[in-house]
Amino acid sequence: MSVAERPVEMAQRPAEMKSARLGIDWRGRALDRAPFLVACLMLALIVAIYGSLQSGVFSLDEINLDTAAAMTLMLAATGQTIVLVRGGIDLSIGGMISLGTVIAATRFTDDPSTVALWALVILAIGFLIGAFNGLLISLLKLQPFLVTLATWSILNGVAMIILPTDGGSVPGWWVSFGYAQLFGLTSPVWMLLALLLFWWWFRATRVGVTIQATGSNEKSAFLSGVSITRVNVITYGLSGLFAAGAALYLTTQTGAGSPTIGKDYILPSVAAAVIGGVSLFGGRGHLAGTLIGAFVLTLIGNLVFVLHVSSYWQPVASGVILLLSVLASSVAEKAARNRVQ
Amino acid sequence: MDLVTVKGLSKRYGGIVALSEATFSARAGEVHALLGENGAGKSTFIQILSGAVQHDGGSILVDGQDYRPANPDAAQARGIAAVFQELSLIPDLSVEQNIWFRHEPRTFLRTINRAEMRRMTLALLDKYKFPTLRPEQELRRLTLAERQIVEIAKGLAKDPRILILDEATSALPAREAEWLLKLTRQLAAEGRLVIFISHRMAEVRAIADRLTIFRNGSTIAVHEANAVSDNEIVTQMIGRHLDRLYPERIATATDRIALSVKGFSSGSRLSGVDFALREGEVLGVGGLQGHGQRELFQSLFGASKASGSIELWGKPVSIGNPRQALIGKDGIALVPEDRRGQGLLLTKSVRENLTLSVIRRFTENGLLSRQKEAALVKEMVDFLRIKAGTPEQLAGTLSGGNQQKVIFGKMLLTQARVLLLYDPTRGVDVGTKGEIFQLMRNLAAKGYAILFHSSDMPELVHVADRVLVMRNGGIAATLGGERISEASILRAAMLESEAA
Ligand SMILES: Nc1ncnc2c1ncn2[C@@H]1O[C@H](COP(=O)(O)OP(=O)(O)O)[C@@H](O)[C@H]1O
Ligand SMILES: [Mg+2]
Repeated sequence: MSVAERPVEMAQRPAEMKSARLGIDWRGRALDRAPFLVACLMLALIVAIYGSLQSGVFSLDEINLDTAAAMTLMLAATGQTIVLVRGGIDLSIGGMISLGTVIAATRFTDDPSTVALWALVILAIGFLIGAFNGLLISLLKLQPFLVTLATWSILNGVAMIILPTDGGSVPGWWVSFGYAQLFGLTSPVWMLLALLLFWWWFRATRVGVTIQATGSNEKSAFLSGVSITRVNVITYGLSGLFAAGAALYLTTQTGAGSPTIGKDYILPSVAAAVIGGVSLFGGRGHLAGTLIGAFVLTLIGNLVFVLHVSSYWQPVASGVILLLSVLASSVAEKAARNRVQ
Repeated sequence: MDLVTVKGLSKRYGGIVALSEATFSARAGEVHALLGENGAGKSTFIQILSGAVQHDGGSILVDGQDYRPANPDAAQARGIAAVFQELSLIPDLSVEQNIWFRHEPRTFLRTINRAEMRRMTLALLDKYKFPTLRPEQELRRLTLAERQIVEIAKGLAKDPRILILDEATSALPAREAEWLLKLTRQLAAEGRLVIFISHRMAEVRAIADRLTIFRNGSTIAVHEANAVSDNEIVTQMIGRHLDRLYPERIATATDRIALSVKGFSSGSRLSGVDFALREGEVLGVGGLQGHGQRELFQSLFGASKASGSIELWGKPVSIGNPRQALIGKDGIALVPEDRRGQGLLLTKSVRENLTLSVIRRFTENGLLSRQKEAALVKEMVDFLRIKAGTPEQLAGTLSGGNQQKVIFGKMLLTQARVLLLYDPTRGVDVGTKGEIFQLMRNLAAKGYAILFHSSDMPELVHVADRVLVMRNGGIAATLGGERISEASILRAAMLESEAA
């Protein structure tokens, strides 16, 4: 039979598939959000305890203060979240933060145009170093863990060469940026809002979706035409960019540079994301969760302080909270998986 | 003029020749079937056409112009889209995000225009009369069949001139498969070229205008579909004459009960299932799709929860999770439905896949004995005739039938003697199918007890000693001996629906 002779029967819609589950799967959705909800619950609990021990916790001032304390971590963790959603990890942010602060502390002068120039240079270095990480990971097919561990070490060394011990300075007007106010909210609170706005936009762009998709299933993304190299360059580039931003912000808080300070943000940036429900396996997670996770980690510090116990309890408490969140999300994930079958 | 002309196409993977000097040509407006055993090179050919991999030698002309896509985007730009056998879907995105991935409509903020995307999705699903899909549902919540349908929608979303369907019907239930066949004809009638790969001869017969046969990476023959017999096709595919697909059925069942199941229930999907599987028996499980067969297998294996009692070799057991089910000579082993998802670790080697769950068998005083492992792996590879370059080849790069053999090997190495085979021949070529049936009968003769589900009814009729027909989560009938036929299975499966 030739093509022309063969009768064409129009395809009919088959009767509904047995397995098509109609109606919204509320329980499934709740389970998906469980890790995030658990993070919110933890934050509420910590705030409640903190509030019962200390007066004035529920005030605008307190919000301003806590956000200022958490902002460096939040910026670093924003970059980390993008990388985790991609299914990777970025340890080099530690080196980038140190490097950023020492460049600022040694190059910034009272002249605003010099500061602007060097701030841009720091951001550009952050992006380029990150992009370089991404390139190495793709071209050499190496583990992100290894590549970024190596660049962390290199950046750390460079920071040490530029400024061997804590010191240098940034101009006073730059420091005052850190607590400038608008409508009663300080700049860190506005930055927090800007981060959320950025995320809302970024995740809805093709680039954002592509990064998430690549983290969810790299092979499928490739078959769909995604250039994995490009995704890695953008992902790690953004992470480096946010780490550089974190460094700039940090100098407004410390007023100086430090070649070792960055390492304090590496694991907490991952922890904040995980507490907030970002999956270490890629493909899943939101910045809102990470920011809550960053608040949780920061407030634990406050709590340890007002409880008048040794400050060594802070990492202990952070670790316990991290374990609890991981437990919560793995329980939820298992429950969700059982539902699918 | 031909829309696609391929000459001397070659592709190697290390020492493995996937394609050698293959030729192919097809016209616009035809359904062109591509046939061949597992491992013949069909998927490789498709991946080259769609830009997922690059060929080493040969030439491809599309519209008379040179064609050498560097990536899937380049292929799309020339109007070529593929529905991949391994699916190209993203688990964490929704159905509609998957369909339009990287081609989403956008707002002035460069963000994805969700309203427009929804409109486009509904229009697409409606245009081709797609089975019910919910656009907002996350992909990882879908069944394999539903995912396959999303992959088809994704291919069509590109409005391609050449659509390639790589074993797209193998995961679909009968009605959806039929829909796809009609759709395929309709697409050809619109002037598109559809390249259609399937192991189901009846489907190829129903829709193909012409067919090209591959064997060992080369083109063996091109036929007008109505000018060649099934027998000739099969002979050309496997390179020898296949006397019979089904092995002789010699009753080997003893009186010993291997697996006894009583009052087995699970939610609304399984209700009060009772049966006994004997040593040396192949017990078929049939019925219309979706009447509890999958749940029965999953629950018996301990992968989903159920109530009721199970006895293995006369001893009551409670099966909480797959590890408990697997353990030892008195255990149960399962060949799962979704072999790529559940059965195999695609990024691990054949050796690792075979031995991972039985690593304890190769340890001496707590140390792994590589020699022991290698010996057993070799034995299995030879026994099952797994076609792999070396035991270190990654499982993900094997052809479908060989992947299935690896899963069999993995199952046999657990030493469990109660085997649950869930559609073990899905997506497997005729030659390998025959081998699998023979293997099943040989195992039964050795005293293994086999519970066997197939979506292909003739397989049940010809291979099983008895057949349990399932309906609404229960056993509607047990057929044995002479009473097993397609008609009797269907009658038992539908009786109630007729009465209602
Ligand atoms: N990425 C790969 N690496 C190594 N070998 C491969 C790869 N992809 C395919 N092969 C081999 O190439 C041959 C052809 O495979 P394939 O094209 O998948 O066959 P088919 O689709 O006809 O079953 C098989 O022997 C397979 O093992
Ligand atoms: Mg194939």
